[in-house]
Amino acid sequence: MTMSWSSTEGLLTIWLLVPYLAAFLAVLLPSLSHGLVLLCCSATALVGSEVLLSGSSTQLQLLGALGVNLSLEPLAGWFLLLNGLVCLAVWLDAQRQGWDRTGCMLLLVLLGSLNTSFLTTDLISLYVSLEVVGISAFLLVLKGATANAHWIALRYLLIGNTAMAIYLMGAGLVYAQAGSFQFEALAKLLPGAPLVLVLVGLLAKAGVFLNGLWLPRTHAEAPAEISALLSGVVVGGGALPLLRLEQLNTSIGELLLPIGLGSAVLGLIYALGVNDAKRLLAWSTLAQMGLVLLSPAAGGLLAFSHGLAKGGLFLTARYWPNRSLSAWRSQPLAWPVLLPVWIGSLSIAGLAPLLGYAAKKQLESSVRPDIATLLVVLSVGSVAVYCRLCRAPLALATASQAPRNGWPWGAWLLMLPLLIGGLRLVGQVKSGWLISLVVLLLGVGLDLLLEQLRQQGLRPLPSLDRLPDLIGGLGLVGAGLLLALGSGVV
Amino acid sequence: MAPIRLLELLILLAALAGFAGLLLRRNLFLKVLAMDVMGSAVVALFVLLAARSGLRSPILPRSGGLLPQDYADPIPQAVILTAIVIGLSIQALLLVVITQMARIDPSLDAASFEPKDQP
Repeated sequence: MTMSWSSTEGLLTIWLLVPYLAAFLAVLLPSLSHGLVLLCCSATALVGSEVLLSGSSTQLQLLGALGVNLSLEPLAGWFLLLNGLVCLAVWLDAQRQGWDRTGCMLLLVLLGSLNTSFLTTDLISLYVSLEVVGISAFLLVLKGATANAHWIALRYLLIGNTAMAIYLMGAGLVYAQAGSFQFEALAKLLPGAPLVLVLVGLLAKAGVFLNGLWLPRTHAEAPAEISALLSGVVVGGGALPLLRLEQLNTSIGELLLPIGLGSAVLGLIYALGVNDAKRLLAWSTLAQMGLVLLSPAAGGLLAFSHGLAKGGLFLTARYWPNRSLSAWRSQPLAWPVLLPVWIGSLSIAGLAPLLGYAAKKQLESSVRPDIATLLVVLSVGSVAVYCRLCRAPLALATASQAPRNGWPWGAWLLMLPLLIGGLRLVGQVKSGWLISLVVLLLGVGLDLLLEQLRQQGLRPLPSLDRLPDLIGGLGLVGAGLLLALGSGVV
Repeated sequence: MAPIRLLELLILLAALAGFAGLLLRRNLFLKVLAMDVMGSAVVALFVLLAARSGLRSPILPRSGGLLPQDYADPIPQAVILTAIVIGLSIQALLLVVITQMARIDPSLDAASFEPKDQP
C-alpha cells in the first residue's frame, strides 16, 4: 500500500504508534519521560478536540479489508479528548507521588492502547488493544503496595481475560458466519450466539451490570491516580465499541437497554448504601456506565462529562483525611480540595450549568419518552448519592489546614472543562429547568431521609463481589441475553 | 454425525469445562489453569474454523486438481497466533502474582483472600 507520510492517514498512523515508541524511550532515557508523556497526552487531546470541532470523520483500512480498520469520528473524539485530559491530570499528580520510569511507561502504553481501542472498528484489533489495556491497568493496580493489591489485581486480570476469551469465541463465530471481523459484519448478522459472546466480553470491560461487579472494589482499592485512570477512561475502552455496535444496528441497543438500566439501578442502590467514599464513587461509575450505553447519540458526551468528573473526584481522594462517609461531616477540607469535590459531584448529579447537566438533558431527549421519565427518577437517586460527598465543611484558611501535599492540580485540570463546556452547552438546553429543580429538592430530601435510616443502623447490603459472583455474573448475563434473543422478547 | 461437527461439540465442551472449573475450583492455581483450558478451547475453535469443512490434507490432489478451498483459511490461523501470545503472557503474569500470594496463604484457597468488609 502506498501512503504518503504527510497525508492525514499517515499522520494518524504515526500518532497511534508514537505512545508505544515513547514508552520504550521513557524506560531507556528516563530524563525524557516527562516530556514524552506531555507530548503524547496533548497530541491525543488535540486530535480529539480537532475531530469534535470539525465534525469530520475518517475511515482507514490498513493491510486491506481483512486487516486493521480504523475510524475517527466525533463519537470517538469525545473519548480521545477524555483520554488525553485524564492521562495528563494523572501525570501531573503522579509527578508529586514520585512515580518511577515504569510508571511513566505504563501510563504511555495505557494511553496508546486506549487510543487504538477507541479508533479500531474490527473485532481482532479491538481484542488485542483491550488486552494491552488490561495488562497495563493490571500492572498499574499492582503499584499500590497494599496487602490487598495483589488480590485485586489478580481478580482484575483473571476476569478480564476470561471475558476476552468469551469475546474471542464470539469473534471466531462471526468470522465463520460472515467471513469478516469488522463491526459491520457483526451488526448485519441475525442476532444470535456470536453477538451475545462478543457483548458479554465488552460489557465486562465496560464495567456494566453483573459483568461489572469486579469494578467497585478494584476502583476503590487502587491508588488514587490509578482509580482516576480506571474510572475515567479505561471503562470507555469497552463502552465505545458497544456504542458503535448500537449505532450500526438499533436492535443491539434494544438488547442492551435493560442491562444499562439494571446497571444504573444496581449502582445507585449500592452507592447509597456503602460507607466508604471511594467505594461510593466506584459504584456510581457502574451506574453511570449503564446510562452511557442507553443511547449512542448522547453516550459520547455523557461518558466525557462523567469521566472528567469521576477522574477529578478520585484525584482528590489523596487529600481526604478519611474515607469513611459517617465521619465526613466532621472533617473540614481546604477550599482547593473542596471546590473540585463540589464541581465534580454536582456535575455528575446533573446540576446546571455544569457539563453533566447538558449531557443528562441530551440523553433524556435521545431516548424513548418512557425511558426518559425513568431517567428523571434515577437522577433523584444520583443527587442523593452526591449529596453525601458535598457534606464536608470548608476548612477556614489557616496554615495548618492547607492541603497536606500541595495543590490538587490534576483535579483542577479536569474540573475546568466541566465548567467551560457546561457554560457553552447550557444555552442549547431550552426546557426542563423546573424539573431539574424538583429533582434536586427531591434528591436532597431522599438523602436526609436515608441519613436518618443509616443512623438507626440499616442491614448491610449483600456482598456481590466474591470471585465466584464475578464469574457467575458473566455466565448469567450471557444466558439471559441468549434467552432474550431465543424467546424473541427483543 | 460428521466428524467436524463432533469436533465442534468437543471444543464447546472444553470451553464449558474451563468455565465451570473457573467457577467451582477453590484453589487459585487450578482456577488459572481452568482459564487456560478455556483459552485452549478458543484456539482450537479458530483452528477448526480455518479447516473449513474438510479434515483431509490437500497433498493428494482430487481428480480435478487443487482448489484454493482445499487449503486451510490462513486468516483465523494468523489471528489466533496473536491471541496465543497474549494468553501466554497473561498466564505468566497471573502465576507471578500467585507466587507472591502463596506467601500469605500457601494453600491458595481463593476464599481466604476475599476481604471481609462491606460491599
